[in-house]
Amino acid sequence: MVLTVALIIGTILFGIGLYGALSQTNLVMIMMGVELMLGASMLNLVAFWRYLHPEVYSIQMFVLVVMTVMALEAAVGFAIGTQRFRSKGSVESEEAADLKG
Amino acid sequence: MMELRIILLIVIGLIAIWFGWRVFRTDSMVRSAFSLLASMVAVGAMFLVMEAEFLGVLQIMMMGTEMSIMAIFMMMYMMDPGGLGEMDMTHQEKPSIIVAVIFGGISLAVILLTKWGDIIAEAPTPAQQNHDLGIEVMKRSMMIFESAGFSILTAMVAALATALIIHNNQIEKN
Repeated sequence: MVLTVALIIGTILFGIGLYGALSQTNLVMIMMGVELMLGASMLNLVAFWRYLHPEVYSIQMFVLVVMTVMALEAAVGFAIGTQRFRSKGSVESEEAADLKG
Repeated sequence: MMELRIILLIVIGLIAIWFGWRVFRTDSMVRSAFSLLASMVAVGAMFLVMEAEFLGVLQIMMMGTEMSIMAIFMMMYMMDPGGLGEMDMTHQEKPSIIVAVIFGGISLAVILLTKWGDIIAEAPTPAQQNHDLGIEVMKRSMMIFESAGFSILTAMVAALATALIIHNNQIEKN
């Protein structure tokens, strides 16, 4: 029961993040959606650790790795945004058709 | 004790979901950055409820700084940071909603139909957890931990290299 509650909350958060990452036009808003998705996956991992395998610490290690990924995503994403804003004056994905290969 | 924990999880989880939803439903960019901060802090509070004290505190501290930085970047790069122009900032909204709902339905089915096994009532104490996590980091997962550190370094260099203006191999001075 308690595990199910935690997993359902994680699923809803992930769904909101997925919607945001797909539907927003601004780079920073897309990154926010990705952050929400990563947060939801961390929630799932912690729930699995606590209620199924409290003695296995590689799950906590995995949560630390996901947190690192969140920070890295923000750093590299903002760097790309900075460069894009400098050269084109906007970070809207609608105006980034010139990136099409 | 378990009932209290379930109630706390539901209440804090609803707060996390509400603020997560507000991120994409407000016009003001600062508000949406701070809604994400609130949502992430609620996720950290859920870690605390699930007795992962170290991870919970770490999550709250990291998200506190990360989202404040994000709010600044939002105001720098948004066409309309205050949301006064009532611009439409979404595209392909219907397909996104459909994809999100389909995903949610599939994972709900997985959650409800899987036999997860017995719930373990007792978790290790915080001191025990920190000790064991430290042993894990220094023994079995050492390579993973070091790779995480190395990727942080790589990302720092990559972020700087991407953001700097470089002409003819010389960094522009201004």
